[in-house]
Amino acid sequence: MTTVTAKADRLAGDAVEAAVEALRSAERRRRRLDLGLSVATPVALLALWQAAADLHWVDPRVFTPPSDIALAAGRLISSGTLLSDLAATLARLSVGFSIGAAGGIVVGILLGLARPLRAALSPLFTALYAIPQIALLPLLLVIFGVGETAKVLTVVAVTFFVLEINALSAVRHFDPRLLEAGRAYGATGAKMFRHVLLPGSLPAIFTGLRVAIALGLVVVTATEFVASNNGLGFLVWNSWQLFEPDQMYVGMATIALLGVALTGVIVALERLAVPWARRRSS
Amino acid sequence: MSWPARHRRCTGAPLRQSGSGWPCPGTAPASGSYSNPVEISVLPRAGQQVSSLPSPALEARGVSKVYVNHAGKATLALHDVDLVVERGTFVSLIGPSGCGKSTLLRVLGVLEKPSSGTVRRASAATGGASSPVSFVFQDYGLFPWLNVVDNVAFGLRMAGVGKRERRERARAWLARMGLLSFESSYPEQLSGGMRQRLSLARAFISDPEVLLMDEPLAALDAQTRMLLQEDLVRLWEESGKTVVLVTHSLDEALLLGDRVVVMSARPGRVTLDMPVSLPRPRSTKTTTEVAFSQMKAELWAALRDEVERSLEQP
Repeated sequence: MTTVTAKADRLAGDAVEAAVEALRSAERRRRRLDLGLSVATPVALLALWQAAADLHWVDPRVFTPPSDIALAAGRLISSGTLLSDLAATLARLSVGFSIGAAGGIVVGILLGLARPLRAALSPLFTALYAIPQIALLPLLLVIFGVGETAKVLTVVAVTFFVLEINALSAVRHFDPRLLEAGRAYGATGAKMFRHVLLPGSLPAIFTGLRVAIALGLVVVTATEFVASNNGLGFLVWNSWQLFEPDQMYVGMATIALLGVALTGVIVALERLAVPWARRRSS
Repeated sequence: MSWPARHRRCTGAPLRQSGSGWPCPGTAPASGSYSNPVEISVLPRAGQQVSSLPSPALEARGVSKVYVNHAGKATLALHDVDLVVERGTFVSLIGPSGCGKSTLLRVLGVLEKPSSGTVRRASAATGGASSPVSFVFQDYGLFPWLNVVDNVAFGLRMAGVGKRERRERARAWLARMGLLSFESSYPEQLSGGMRQRLSLARAFISDPEVLLMDEPLAALDAQTRMLLQEDLVRLWEESGKTVVLVTHSLDEALLLGDRVVVMSARPGRVTLDMPVSLPRPRSTKTTTEVAFSQMKAELWAALRDEVERSLEQP
């Protein structure tokens, strides 16, 4: 009798295992397909572009074929120009972003907590945010001259406002039940901030960081168009002025890749800092 | 805090609490010699005999609470409420929706200030990490960014208990609540019943004098609810804590409570204070006894008019 049940159990166990394995391999197949499609689409478009330029469906002097862009990239890399432009842009962006983000988070949380401060500053900040930050550049150039300060400050401005708004909103819309639970279990003052408000606001803060890094890249590129003699924005602008579209494409592609890489860094940091939110979404 | 002289009394020596909020010149002998024996009559009797010398853990006198909403409209949530909760007893608070039960609970727990009246908590001369009050909320109030073990240990962390000790104590409670295998999960990954068990563990771990529970089982399905009621009965009977439980369920109020306090429709005031004489230990079987049904009928008779009245309120 016991052997019969044991055998039945084993058979049932085998069936379950087979079903689980079938589900897993189906999921693996779907993932491989996703990955394949996400790579195949851009490759196909590049191939189409190459063919269109080679066959003169489009003007190859404007729509430089990908093969020529790759050659131009090789030249710019070996001459060191691309790397030094990338470094210049990255430096401006990271310094401005760090200062703006830190300031925005601190000021946003303070405004969220202190009603008089909010009354005094929040309408002012909202009005200032409505001005496109790039419009500040001429003023900053007048004040600071054509140096790094004006360009970095433009990035600071855009980052600051995005994070100030996100952090303020995170604190203002904080789940009152969690604040009450914190208070009920002895979190007061600085402890409430450190153990309840800050961790609870991190998801909104990371959303702000992701938005701000993209805007920061736009702004730093734009400042380099008009007020710089190095950087990726300068590379693109200068190539246009010299009519070297192949170099222009290299600059644009590098800016795009930089954007993807920086967003990736922030998403990775978010996974480390907010593991619970990732589990929630998955 | 001002305290009307007529309510002032001494606690006896055998009870841990003396001093702090309770002015007590000299130490009274165990038999309990009061500076003025007449004053004791002010205090309502306990529903159950707790000790030879009842000493209230919580005492609300003439508590009223007014809310003003965004439109400037004032609502009287509580009106002149007196409630005395003896040490070590379980008081169920029941009443129609919106009658101010939860407000009273929060006033008792000092999460909110009364608009008038006084709330008195016998604060023991507690050393270390024993916190005076713990809360259990209907929606659990668990922190989504902390895993299970750190949620349980949150109160200990706030009280400055070291990491190792608080994790050890938290694990012991998780084991007791059957949640140990989920210690590194996040609350989002747990079912409603598990979350409320977690929230109970968080409340009990800091060894509070008083536990205040705001409809802790209301969000659960009926079967999970029965299981957790048994958990609660067991936990309470083992711990001997002072508990105030707000509930909508007559069964729950009677099954768990030493007393059931009925509140009126808004503005809330106490209309009935009924001792529950059912023997302990209790379990779900208790609900099938004749005495239970009789008390339930009596309770419903007292509550029915109030519920009807509350339906006429906006």
